Amino acid sequence: MDALAPQPTASTPVEGRPELRVEGIGVAPGVAIGPAYLYAAGAYQAEPEELDATDTEAEVDRFERAVARSERELKKITVVARQKLGDGSAGIFDAQALILRDRQFYDAVVEHIRTHHGGAGWAVQSVLDEHRRRLEASSNASLRERAADFLDVQNRVLRNLQQGRAVSRIDEDTVVVAENLTAADVLLFSRRGVLGVVLDFGGPTSHVSIMARALGVPAVVSLHELAEQVRHGDTLIVDGFSGTVILNPTPETLARAEAKAERFARLADDRSEVLAAPSATRDGHTIGLQANVEFREEFPLLHEFGAEGIGLFRTEMLFLTQGRALDEEQQQEVYRDAVLASAPHPVTFRLLDLGGDKVLPMARRESNPFLGWRGLRILLDKPDLLKPQLRAILRASAHAPEAVPPRMLLPMVSSLAEVRQFKRALRAVYDDLQAEGVEHRRDLPLGIMVEVPAVALLADVFAKHVDFFSIGTNDLTQFTLAVDRGNDLVAGLYRELHPAVLGLIAQTVAAAQAVGLPVSVCGEIAADPRVTPLLVGLGVDTLSASPAYLTLVKRVLRAFTLDEAQDLARRALRQADAADVRRLLDHFLACHNRDLAALLSLDD
Amino acid sequence: MLTREVTVRNRAGVHTRPASMIVREASRFAAEFFIRKDGYEINGKSIIGVMTLAAEQGATLDLLFDGPDEEAAADALEQLFEGGFGEAL
Repeated sequence: MDALAPQPTASTPVEGRPELRVEGIGVAPGVAIGPAYLYAAGAYQAEPEELDATDTEAEVDRFERAVARSERELKKITVVARQKLGDGSAGIFDAQALILRDRQFYDAVVEHIRTHHGGAGWAVQSVLDEHRRRLEASSNASLRERAADFLDVQNRVLRNLQQGRAVSRIDEDTVVVAENLTAADVLLFSRRGVLGVVLDFGGPTSHVSIMARALGVPAVVSLHELAEQVRHGDTLIVDGFSGTVILNPTPETLARAEAKAERFARLADDRSEVLAAPSATRDGHTIGLQANVEFREEFPLLHEFGAEGIGLFRTEMLFLTQGRALDEEQQQEVYRDAVLASAPHPVTFRLLDLGGDKVLPMARRESNPFLGWRGLRILLDKPDLLKPQLRAILRASAHAPEAVPPRMLLPMVSSLAEVRQFKRALRAVYDDLQAEGVEHRRDLPLGIMVEVPAVALLADVFAKHVDFFSIGTNDLTQFTLAVDRGNDLVAGLYRELHPAVLGLIAQTVAAAQAVGLPVSVCGEIAADPRVTPLLVGLGVDTLSASPAYLTLVKRVLRAFTLDEAQDLARRALRQADAADVRRLLDHFLACHNRDLAALLSLDD
Repeated sequence: MLTREVTVRNRAGVHTRPASMIVREASRFAAEFFIRKDGYEINGKSIIGVMTLAAEQGATLDLLFDGPDEEAAADALEQLFEGGFGEAL
């Protein structure tokens, strides 16, 4: 019996275990079918063994091989991380590699093996546990965080110890099942030919989801306790679009999923044709298709998926991943890279949108954070956050092509007074830059997020004071329906297609069109090709979504005419609830592109 | 044997990345290298030691060197702290 055996791995009769469907959040489109590979931190728990004294040297050798393998893995990850994530993240893996050969670790483990005869796994765990506990007990928060690095090293060495003895290694052509993963894990998996990823934790905008999309690995997150129910080698179907995961599928389900996977693969293969085609309806009505972007490593995807610029650059992740605000210079560099990656198309910089579920270290606890100190409200209260960001954006904008200035987008606006106050702050920054003789640009169109119903209702008033609208359907839906979608008890009531939400979108578009303002939608529904005809019919002229979804959206877009879409929108606005709207959309898609309809419908 | 007093200048303090830079740099020299802070002393060539050091921005540390190339080692390490590990100050 291997002391490091993860979960029961013995033969598991597929018969007798019923098919299990679990709905999570699809974060990287595509269908993956394959045996499960459990990658759980808790799986690498070592137990003491009782070895004969004569076995100890063999055990020391086994430890050395595991360390060498771990070292090779970390070297690879460091290189890839440096390319894709930058020096900061790479440094963490470099430090982990150093731990492996640190005498306080290596020599201590060897010593432990020789004196306790409890096996290499037990020794590794005992030595690292001690270091880790010391850090975890510290009153210093940053020291406590470092404990995670020791845990990572521990898991890596234990896994390699186990694989050194395992009869067969399951890693290629598998679906990785884990509670959670780091972005680096996903990087490594994608290079090993992993088919798909399913996680208990995570959300659409967590780093691991973004990496999965960037690498084209179908992924579903937020599956709660799925990992507990899966055993090594179980067959899994992962639909990274709908978010459905099926464990132990029946032969019929499997056959349907295989057909679907094949269709998805075909679509990906013919992408060049779609990329070359104009992003317009069948009758030539042009719709802008832009990318929502959060991290530098997503920039190359703009070209790959044919995005016409960045429609939403979320700047808060730059702050949150570092745990502190980047200074003006660091921000300027990232923004400049965004401007260059986006050219010849513009970038829309959404100013720091903190608050809600993205909490600042300095913020005090709020009883109702989604209705609290958020977005522009924070920026107007905190010039030390607003000013450096504005300066960095205006300076980076000097690198943009003359004809396409970047755009600035204000998050969480609820009253005109806030827009006015912002404009005063902006003028002060102009004056400072002028006085300092710093190169910058001032012709940036200024837009606001339409995500508070008050703004949608007064869109005609706001339209006179700004240059464009961007509708954030996620928050607009939450606020209109009074539903917190993060709350499991009511999440089922969260319906972006609710006719009341659609009515607010229609009202916003009408106010904008009256004075010739562009309107984009950058919420999650912009990424859903089933909803594309409706948004176009409502008069939205730009859709901004995660790059990986843009070619699907474009395929649907090219299948209908503007008239047809407008007719669909009129009918949708007359429906009583979201389910009726959903039925209309499914029917519309089935009439216009049967293949895509089959691919995208929820019941595979 | 020689001692240099340095101040942590970069804003993020001695976190994981600077820790690995310190160890890699120190390992280029034969001289023994210890870091002392608030009466607590760790081996500066051990990543585990450096990672258990709580050194925020503004903290003062004593760097202790002992060996044939201690002068060069001291200069190199001092420079690393002085430059804030290439990070924002």
